[in-house]
Amino acid sequence: MEVISMIVKDEFGVMQRIMGEFTRKRINVETIVVGKCEVPGKARIVLSVLNKEMADIAVERLGRLQDIDAVEVVDEPRQSAYALISTSKGWCGLIGSRDEVAEIIEKTDPEHYIKTVNAL
Amino acid sequence: MFGIPGAATLPLYDELLESDIRHILVRHEQGAAHMADGYARIKKAPGMCIATSGAGATNLVSGMATAYLDSSPVIAVTGQVPTNVLGSDGFQEADIFSLMMPITKHNFRVTDPSTLATDFRSAFRIAMSGRCAPVHIDIPKDVLTREDGVPPRPTPLPEAPLEPSKDQVSVAAKMLMQAERPLIMLGGGASWSGAGPEALALADQLAAPIVTTLMGKGAVPDTHPLVLGMIGMHGRAAANYALENCDVLLAVGARFSDRSVGEPSSCRMRVIHVDIDRTEMGKNVCPTLGIAAEAKASLAAIKGAINLKVHSSNWSQTSGEMIKRCTCDIDVCEDPISPRKVIHELDAALPSDAVIVTEVGQCQMWAAHFLDIKDQRSFVTSGGLGCMGFGLPAAIGAKIAAPDRKVVDIAGDGSFTMVCQELATAAKEEIPVAIALLNNSRLGMIKQHQRLFYGDRLTAQDLSGIDMVKLAESFGAEAIRVDQHQDLAPALQQAIDSDRPCLVDIQINREEDIFPLTLRTAAGSNVHRGSCPYDGGC
Repeated sequence: MEVISMIVKDEFGVMQRIMGEFTRKRINVETIVVGKCEVPGKARIVLSVLNKEMADIAVERLGRLQDIDAVEVVDEPRQSAYALISTSKGWCGLIGSRDEVAEIIEKTDPEHYIKTVNAL
Repeated sequence: MFGIPGAATLPLYDELLESDIRHILVRHEQGAAHMADGYARIKKAPGMCIATSGAGATNLVSGMATAYLDSSPVIAVTGQVPTNVLGSDGFQEADIFSLMMPITKHNFRVTDPSTLATDFRSAFRIAMSGRCAPVHIDIPKDVLTREDGVPPRPTPLPEAPLEPSKDQVSVAAKMLMQAERPLIMLGGGASWSGAGPEALALADQLAAPIVTTLMGKGAVPDTHPLVLGMIGMHGRAAANYALENCDVLLAVGARFSDRSVGEPSSCRMRVIHVDIDRTEMGKNVCPTLGIAAEAKASLAAIKGAINLKVHSSNWSQTSGEMIKRCTCDIDVCEDPISPRKVIHELDAALPSDAVIVTEVGQCQMWAAHFLDIKDQRSFVTSGGLGCMGFGLPAAIGAKIAAPDRKVVDIAGDGSFTMVCQELATAAKEEIPVAIALLNNSRLGMIKQHQRLFYGDRLTAQDLSGIDMVKLAESFGAEAIRVDQHQDLAPALQQAIDSDRPCLVDIQINREEDIFPLTLRTAAGSNVHRGSCPYDGGC
């Protein structure tokens, strides 16, 4: 899995325009995290796609959009995985490497969970 | 500016009364977008169209998609319901902001009057920067009426064209010098940038032939001895032969569309791909070398890096022979009139700087295949979207952009009747365009494909029953009907010379198809028999 990070305008419609590029190239977004960031008026989007070829295509196309200030593929040392899991004993949040989080989810076999990746 | 007012844009129209902007009142918003497109392609500057909210705005969509696929800098302004009504499904509310997103380079929804002036300037800059493309501005009605707008912030000029790197130029030059069968392919980007002289100079130095895509037609004169003409499904056999047999292809401002090259896997040569848009590299065909730079500068740089002069080669001699074999006689003197005869007479009648616009369908391919674009002639067509209804309004826009040039729309009856009401626009605004209507009372390309690929089972292709002369006259245009080949030349000349819009309703042979029809796949080419004397020809 490859992780893409971008700094974008923090406005309505921006996410739709960005997702349109993925739709056009038939690339599924595996995970996504969006939020305000250190740049005033901007947001950071971190998302992941299945492989490097998809990531390269996406970065090329996203680089053309007026709403995006910067876009890059993030290497693995800068990535973190997150999960929120729920079992009969309650719920908890996890943070760690992608392998660590995946391993805990497998061991705990939660009734419900969501996991994603983030990066700076 | 081309458009139709509506409730949401009335404040803007009221201000137009105080402005020196020329507004052309059209009869359908699709026509407005195509007119702006035709204007932009000839003027090499943004063309503007305007529509009101809701259906007015959605009617622009086909025209904007046409401009997007052909990289034309159209600016569309749409009115919108007031901001306090947005999202409530108010009267004439449509989410045009979302609808325009995938068919524009960028779009704005202006909800704050203080950004309006700056957004307009940004729209023009974006449309003309890098690869040209349409931009859309959606303006709620209350934004148009509030008085708290502010002067625009300084906006940078359009980005300077990208220059090729020296390293890439050096590699490209080396590949071309080592090639045994080099070929230059020019697309719409080469045509837009005016790279024809540089392409011809490079071709002359390498003794390399040139082919064009549909969008590249007109980038170089079709009559030049090294120019083989248009490639593609309805391209010239000589051009397709060269594409199949070259060993190094320099593709400039072209995107390897399926109608041009067939299956991408059929391109087995080494490819140098020059395009101003980096995302075109590898999109359809993976190049050996990709140069993300402007066409004209790249060709000049590559030529400058080549230090040999090839006077002649077997390849260039073959190309010369191919041109001779591919030059057929289209002065067909028979009735019913052959569409090739129409092209022949148009070629003879049109001046050397004429603007030739086409509708979409068989008429478009007859023009693209048989009509030579030479001297200062321009060729304007809907290449990417193949949008029926493009020709007449685009011709009107082109005529406004170049009032001193003769403009002709080579039309078919199917495409023409989709926008024929714009004849009223041309008549009322005194815009003298000529329409050569190749009337076979059919959706000709549909009929051709049903014959060839659906066992001759014809359906939903008969358009007979319209008196085109009466139709044109009712809109205030001149009209002439021609059904004898000997009457064709004077009628076309009358239309071209007229100071009013003039339609020539040419009753062509209903059975004639456009050939050759070449289907390129990885396994090779399949050329359907036709009028061309080269492989598979009659």
